Amino acid sequence: MTVDGRAPGTRPGAVGLVLQEPGSGTVAATVARDVAFGLENIGLPADTMPAHVEAALTAVGLDHLDGDTPTGALSGGQTQRLALAGALALRPTLLLLDEPTAMLDEASAATVRDAVVHGAAGLTTVVVEHRIEPWLEHADRIIVLGRDGRISHDGTPVQVLADHGDELAADGIWVPGVAAPEPLAIDLGALARPAGPGAGLLTCEPVRVERRRNHLDGSSDVSTALITEAPLEVAAGRATALVGPSGGGKSTWLATIAGLIPPSSGRVVTSDGRAVAELPATEVAPLLGWVPQWSSSALLSRTVLDEVLLTGRTLGTADEGVARHLLDVLGLAHLERADPQTLSGGEQRRLAVAAALAHGPGAVLADEPTVGQDRGTWAAVTGLLLSHRARGGAVVTATHDPDLVELVDEVRYVRTPPPQPERATPPAVLSACGPLSLVAAATIPMVAAVLSPGWRVSLVVLALLAVGAVVGLANRPGTGGWTLPGRWRGLAIRLLPGAVGGLSVGWSTWLLGSHDVETALSAALRLLVIVVPSAITLAFIDPDDLADHLGQRLRLPARPVVALGAALQRVQSFGAAWSEVGWARRLRGQGVSWRQPRSVVAHLWASTFGMLLRSLGSAATLAVAMDARGFASGGRRTWAEAAPWRLADTLVVLASLSTVLVVVIARL
Amino acid sequence: MTATKTPAASSARTVLATGQLMGWRTIDLLTIAFLGVAFGVAYWGYGLIYNGPISALGLAFQPLFGLFVGFWFIAGVVGGLVVRRPGAALACELIAAIVSALFGNQWGVTTVVSGLAQGIGAELAFAIFAYKAFGPAVAVLAGALSAPLEWIYEAYAYFADWTWAWKLAYLPLMVISGIVIAGVGGWLLTRALARAGALNPFPPGQEVLERRAV
Repeated sequence: MTVDGRAPGTRPGAVGLVLQEPGSGTVAATVARDVAFGLENIGLPADTMPAHVEAALTAVGLDHLDGDTPTGALSGGQTQRLALAGALALRPTLLLLDEPTAMLDEASAATVRDAVVHGAAGLTTVVVEHRIEPWLEHADRIIVLGRDGRISHDGTPVQVLADHGDELAADGIWVPGVAAPEPLAIDLGALARPAGPGAGLLTCEPVRVERRRNHLDGSSDVSTALITEAPLEVAAGRATALVGPSGGGKSTWLATIAGLIPPSSGRVVTSDGRAVAELPATEVAPLLGWVPQWSSSALLSRTVLDEVLLTGRTLGTADEGVARHLLDVLGLAHLERADPQTLSGGEQRRLAVAAALAHGPGAVLADEPTVGQDRGTWAAVTGLLLSHRARGGAVVTATHDPDLVELVDEVRYVRTPPPQPERATPPAVLSACGPLSLVAAATIPMVAAVLSPGWRVSLVVLALLAVGAVVGLANRPGTGGWTLPGRWRGLAIRLLPGAVGGLSVGWSTWLLGSHDVETALSAALRLLVIVVPSAITLAFIDPDDLADHLGQRLRLPARPVVALGAALQRVQSFGAAWSEVGWARRLRGQGVSWRQPRSVVAHLWASTFGMLLRSLGSAATLAVAMDARGFASGGRRTWAEAAPWRLADTLVVLASLSTVLVVVIARL
Repeated sequence: MTATKTPAASSARTVLATGQLMGWRTIDLLTIAFLGVAFGVAYWGYGLIYNGPISALGLAFQPLFGLFVGFWFIAGVVGGLVVRRPGAALACELIAAIVSALFGNQWGVTTVVSGLAQGIGAELAFAIFAYKAFGPAVAVLAGALSAPLEWIYEAYAYFADWTWAWKLAYLPLMVISGIVIAGVGGWLLTRALARAGALNPFPPGQEVLERRAV
């Protein structure tokens, strides 16, 4: 195999790559920096980068965005176009797109296709797709892979589809113009608690959901994630589809209905008026089945069969016959003993649907259940949902699959909440400092702690540190106001562990040191002098700057440092993975109670394991995306942004040195 | 991405890192970074329990703390077991320590010293076997060796006022904790991750695939 007559990988970035999951290849915190990633890897001088970045953003229609826009603030469609811009910046000769619009609603998908058609005009482009229709008018050639992985057809789209369309459709391929298959009728067994047709199960009042993003320094951004204007009735024998743009709040709505995200206004209540969020896990499970967007984090068992049986076993209603039948219908019977985590994405999604329905819950909440399915498995998944409706269950699904939307009784459109006016929070004095000076300022007072002759001097040092905190946590001059309460709350929370540690050391010293209060006090205060500076300064380290400073100022090896920076970018997603496992466990009837230590241990283990699985998966995907942008050969890389040492850095180091000075003077 | 270095003599053979031992692939770097950050989040959470219930346990006989320190060694053991390259254990432990400090724990920037002390210890265990053995015995050794340097550091920095009897009692308790929680626990965790298919690009995942293929 050759690209441009040479082995692939000879020229970094010659093969551009866009992956299916929006954001899975995002490396940097801001838009311009992310596009520049490949340019850094090929060692382009920093001053020539902005022009390349600008050109790439223009090519994908994102030139209206400010380069400093956080990558986390983009919609799904914008994120995919950003990935395309990152690939185009390296002037690829070949562009590979792996289902680039599979996770997007139709309008967002259209913007991504436009970006490909116009931005990549003239490039050899290969698109891997389940749903080929919208691409057909732009495609010159179509290659069909058979189930055995061999090429079964190869030719112009017109010719292949005209000659073999029926045969391909019968084999499960979504052939344009062929109507969606009939959903299968599936015997699901009875509901756990049968309800009369139309009986209300749940009511979701008009809700407003805020998303809070906490920062290390104790401040937080609040944005509106969802606003719904009319109540949603989840009623027996009724199917509802939530549709709307990617990132518009569909998944948030589902999680709110399930009682997993507390709305800031509005309630979700059962037919007897109880709040869903307050029901014990064993009562939620018979009421609700749950298929989250990340189906892998909802899979909790070690074999596929156990997965389907899990909730039923907890509730005492497990039926192996029904479970096996479901696996059979979904084409998973041969995987019965496999570990669910080893299944493909499409298989995991089907398994999650089966596991959500097997115990006969009143309602099923399914997030994008049909993504990545061929015609055969699509008919099985939609068949499960509709058979659930037929047995008197309720279905609520968030979807952008028009064929699924056709099948439901009610369609609710979810609008993206309007962006709020930016509430610019004034920055703290300490946030003017770079990461290295902040670490130095946290470290230097340790010398003072070690040299301090006793508790009196340590107390003076602590007083100095308090003054430092007052100055450091104040708003930067000229930004209005003098400080933010959240910052001090954050500091108090960070100080608490240190205070406990100080007490503990003081106590043990008192026990040992023949109950001498002064010795104990000296030991306790020495510990405080060691840990208090960290509590003040470390939270103001911007993880996004860390790699730049470690790489450029400390000259640490570039690749490990950039890898660390990319991982720190995703700290928030690790927390999300952790809580999603908790959600799945709750809705599968796996309650947690402090009165049962085993349930707590099981919960901690499952959540940690789920977080590790997700982080390993993200690392593997990101590695592919980064190597496609020349990271493997990025040993001599350049840096798009400088890591300056500013006046503030010098000042904070000098301020921390004052603690040592005080101790030295006291000892003289 | 197969990792064949020795002929497939038995189904239980040890798979080593691909290519040059020091030739870190991108996925190696990212996996250590991601594991380090994930364990850092877990360390931070453990620190909260460590402060409350566990501290209370140690009030009468403080060296009993030693029985609970093993959890702090687990990132190094798992990092070394997964990536199987020089530096993996140390880097994973160090990153976890840095992240838990950034979140704000009870030890602040000194956590980094602990991360180094523990990481070097774990790294030593893998180095002794020239990065060619990664079984439960090596995992246990890595857990045990995570303790001594940390013990020296803590005895000097935190517990300088303890009697020597207490200090000497603290070391074996730390080692036992390292063996059980980090060694056995880390090995079991790595095996569970490999069985879930999450380590397929790495030697432990390859071992699982080969065993299944037999």
